[in-house]
Amino acid sequence: MVNTNIDGAPTRRRQDSALRVRLRRGGELLRLILSNPTTVFGLILIFGMLGMALFAPWLTQPNTPDPYQMPRDWGALRMPPGTPGHPLGTTNTGGDVLYGVIWGSRTSLQLSIIVVGVTVVIGTAIGSIAGMVGGKVDEILMRIVDVFLSIPELIFALAIAAILGPSFTNIILSLCLVFWVKYARIMRAQIILVKQNDYVDAARVIGDSRLNIYFRDILPNAATPLVVQATLDMGAIVLIGATLSFIGLSESGIAEWGVLVSEGQAGIASGRWWASTFPGLMIFLWALAFNLLGDGLRDALDPRTESRR
Amino acid sequence: MSISKTDTTGAQTVAPATIASVRGLKVHFRSKAGRVHAVDGVDFDVRDGETLGLVGETGCGKSVTGRAFLRLLPVPPGILAGGSVMFRPQTSCAGCGGEGCAQCGGSGRRPTPCPTCRGQGCPDCQGTGAETLDLLKVSDKKMRGIRGDRIAMIFQDPGKSLNPTLTIGEQLGEVFLQHRSADLLEEAGIDSGESGFQARALRRLAGQRDRRTDRMAAALWPPLRRRAQSVRQALDNRIAAALGETQIPNPRNIMRSYPHELSGGMRQRVMIAQALACDPDLIIADEPTTALDVTVQARILDLIGQLQAKRGSSVIYISHDLSVVRRICDRVAVMYAGRVVEIGETDQIFNDPRHPYTKGLLAAVPTTRTPRGKLAAIPGSVPELVDPKPSCRFADRCAHVHAACTASDPILSAVNPGHDVACFLEHPTSPKTEAAE
Amino acid sequence: MTDMSRLPTPDGASDAAPGSILSLRGISKHFPIRAGALQRVVGHVRAVDGVSFDIRPGETLGLVGESGCGKTTLGRLASGLLSPTSGGSYFNLDAAALSKLNAAYALPEDARAAALAPIEAAHGVTTMPKAAQARFRRNCQMVFQDSFSSLNPRHLVIDIVGRPLRVHKEASGEALTERVVELLEQVGLGRQHLYRYPHQFSGGQRQRISIARALALDPELIILDEPTSALDVSVQAQILNLLNDLQAERNLAYLFVTHDLSVVEHMADRIVTMYLGRVVEAGPTRTLFDEAAHPYTRALIAAKPDLAMDDPQVAKFAALDGSIPDPARPPRGCHFHTRCPVATPNCGWELDDIVRLLERSEDLFEALSDVSRHSDFAGELAFEDEDSAQRLAQALRSDATPASMRSAMESLTVDGRMLKVRFKEVGEVQLSDRGPDHIAACVLKDA
Repeated sequence: MVNTNIDGAPTRRRQDSALRVRLRRGGELLRLILSNPTTVFGLILIFGMLGMALFAPWLTQPNTPDPYQMPRDWGALRMPPGTPGHPLGTTNTGGDVLYGVIWGSRTSLQLSIIVVGVTVVIGTAIGSIAGMVGGKVDEILMRIVDVFLSIPELIFALAIAAILGPSFTNIILSLCLVFWVKYARIMRAQIILVKQNDYVDAARVIGDSRLNIYFRDILPNAATPLVVQATLDMGAIVLIGATLSFIGLSESGIAEWGVLVSEGQAGIASGRWWASTFPGLMIFLWALAFNLLGDGLRDALDPRTESRR
Repeated sequence: MSISKTDTTGAQTVAPATIASVRGLKVHFRSKAGRVHAVDGVDFDVRDGETLGLVGETGCGKSVTGRAFLRLLPVPPGILAGGSVMFRPQTSCAGCGGEGCAQCGGSGRRPTPCPTCRGQGCPDCQGTGAETLDLLKVSDKKMRGIRGDRIAMIFQDPGKSLNPTLTIGEQLGEVFLQHRSADLLEEAGIDSGESGFQARALRRLAGQRDRRTDRMAAALWPPLRRRAQSVRQALDNRIAAALGETQIPNPRNIMRSYPHELSGGMRQRVMIAQALACDPDLIIADEPTTALDVTVQARILDLIGQLQAKRGSSVIYISHDLSVVRRICDRVAVMYAGRVVEIGETDQIFNDPRHPYTKGLLAAVPTTRTPRGKLAAIPGSVPELVDPKPSCRFADRCAHVHAACTASDPILSAVNPGHDVACFLEHPTSPKTEAAE
Repeated sequence: MTDMSRLPTPDGASDAAPGSILSLRGISKHFPIRAGALQRVVGHVRAVDGVSFDIRPGETLGLVGESGCGKTTLGRLASGLLSPTSGGSYFNLDAAALSKLNAAYALPEDARAAALAPIEAAHGVTTMPKAAQARFRRNCQMVFQDSFSSLNPRHLVIDIVGRPLRVHKEASGEALTERVVELLEQVGLGRQHLYRYPHQFSGGQRQRISIARALALDPELIILDEPTSALDVSVQAQILNLLNDLQAERNLAYLFVTHDLSVVEHMADRIVTMYLGRVVEAGPTRTLFDEAAHPYTRALIAAKPDLAMDDPQVAKFAALDGSIPDPARPPRGCHFHTRCPVATPNCGWELDDIVRLLERSEDLFEALSDVSRHSDFAGELAFEDEDSAQRLAQALRSDATPASMRSAMESLTVDGRMLKVRFKEVGEVQLSDRGPDHIAACVLKDA
């Protein structure tokens, strides 16, 4: 037998198993992600906001009957921050700004998870069909995507939401209808790229079925940019949702950051800055956090860094 | 003529007929695993007008060595850890103006006199009187002047080394504009003593330092435009001439094309034209024919040989293909794991290899004579060069390894005139290397 | 299309003769060229154009040629990754079936289909019953050139090498692991490599993994597409030795596609040379290297730098003029005539050759305004002025044009701004016998 050396790989214990090796690799990836300080900062922010969302009922007394409605306390209108019982002040209808900030994180979480989840699934499905089947099907699907992409996302979402009528659910709906195209494009491009690799042909020569090849070879290797994009979109969706709410396409009075900014905006001229600023700050932090995480993921998952591991 | 070996004090000498001299070159790279000693103490000379082959397999450090001549190494992961690359640039012989005469030995070139002593001999030029530069230590500005002008490089994959967004004419033009702008201006009839706005603008345009005002002026003001166009003409003539030298059919047409419109062989000719544009003294060819078909390769090799013979330039030919090296090189240096293990005349290396690695390499090439399944394969693989200990790098793969091999580094010593080997089998008592680092 | 009956037949074919593992007949692959807003098909790239050969059990057939000759495409066609535009491949023919196949192809077109039908039903790779097709899949495996991209970077070695066994449900769990270890040991790796990722290996080791994967189902034929081109010489030696050992142990047949003549001389029993989609020569290795009949084969051999010193006699063949023609518009007659150092007037000189000549002279080329073809061999070139037409006519009559091309011109006249020319019409060059088991497609009988 010819002697072989694996350069640089230390010898391991005999009980290595597939699972252990994969876990180890996952651990290395995690370490790589956490090695970047801005990414860690983003993660901390995210955990903070997630915590806020999760523990909302314990952090502030939920409003009855619907905790997502801002409480109205006519006895405490337009109070500045620092007032006892209202650390961040109150809005012009007596709603506690802190309440709005905390419960708003729940609405934002719902919004981003639902929209990103749905769009990723739809986009992946359509992009995969286009990339895998090719030919006329690809052409038709991509022309549809082109039509969607020719309209700026915000305007498109705005138009749909306006048609459907102002409500939070309709904002979610319109964003889902608009944002899937990006993923379809990415997925298709990635699939075309991945298909050029010989290992896809090797799987065919072995005799594996096309479906199997898609799930085992193509999808895992094509998914990386999607993961990064989805993370970035978690932040972007909230930003756009807030914009739509701000211009009045959402229900008034709910605990949603965009709505709060909109409703508090009138008071700024009179010096009542707190009703808009704190929710606005939260929007900013949310978008920032996911952007930082997304950037960190992109760097860590970059194939060039992959080969260094 | 045998190489003048380093004397015991380690002083670096450049023998008269050599154009470049590498002594103790060390290039290391920082990596997660530690410090990789990619090139670790390389010594060789390049003689005037010769083709030196630098042979070795992946990871032996030959490409890094070649790039060290032009300081084309990425310096944050790379570290120039020691050694020197002494280079003696040449100029046209004053006696014959480049034609060839007795004084310059027919080549039309002579070493540039040392600026400090004007040819008399001084410590700067180590007494030779010729300008001697340590390429690892010259300033960036001086290096930029040398790159493309005195030392040129032909890269491996012409598809990747030509800018896809520039036409061939634009790419070649860059070389001339960078190094020969004075000549261009002269050819366009612009007096070197001329002053004034026009002259200054033209000089800037020709030297690729033009500003937007220059370009606007050249576009709008007829006299300036005419003169700028004549500079352009001179440039185009030079480019066409350079392309024509490499036997490219229809150079003017090619000048307007983009790299992707040309075949691999044509692109490599363009690369060669670019490398030879300013008549360099030393050409570093890094596997120039690896990406080409066999028949195209044959023609490109012939071309390189012809052009080199005509101009008297020296070539360092880096390759892993022993057969090609045998065909075109005068001398060959075999590298392994960052060191030169054997160096000598081509015939000596191929007919009388002394180092076990060289022997193994030659035996591994499939030839008509080898029975099937019996190719002499060197067992094992190239070692990781991370913080290596003093020892022969080939020891763990060598069939003749013994105690001395793992105790210290072997150094190059002569076995025959002109033929050096670094192996304890040949020189059991070779002196230990001085503690380098 | 090459004449199907002209194929190398084994010397003294008899019942003891082995037949073939894989037989290709008239395989063509044309890729459409689309242009314009509606993406209409404007032409075809004839990557493979009527190729036929047999791969015998246990032998190594070398497939040689330079880039653009179609050998990689042919490798993929043979393995079934691509489906041919026309032609057929037949699997596992015994001697009797093989002679029936040859007989069927010797028949004229109309009678052929009927004679082929039973063979296709039993052996045709695309027409066999499903079970037989599955058997073909298992018995015909492939090793690719780029060892890095042929292994899924996210899979462990056990996943990669064990996959064929899983897909065909041959083993699972512990048994699978053991079989994978066995395979790894056969290629010079070991149990410790089971749970590693491809990027942790060197190029040579990755190729070993690819080979282990190809061996998993115990195939009869492995198609190797430039398996060692990306490897260092000493690693290549290891892999070539390994391939030889495996072949001896398992009686494997190899289709060895490469551009490296030294490797193919060492490895192959028989060699097929390709140029621009066609077979130009085929025969035993030693015959080809000692007495190649086709000028292109001789050029390849001459151009290959050898460790032995050059033979000055072959200098004529070593430096080939010009470059490989456009595969969308291959030259008429013999594809190689545009670069052949010993071309004759019968080699297929045509109008396009004049255009190619023109491209070398830029002012004449600029002056060309139109080319009208009556056929490939006759037509008119219209210029912008009379002078250019005259100059071209002069050039065509002078030494700047190869003598054989001049002789092939039956008429050449200048009429004002038009140049009218007619060449001798020749058909396609057929493969002809040159000796036992040796065929070549060249008009020269003793080049």
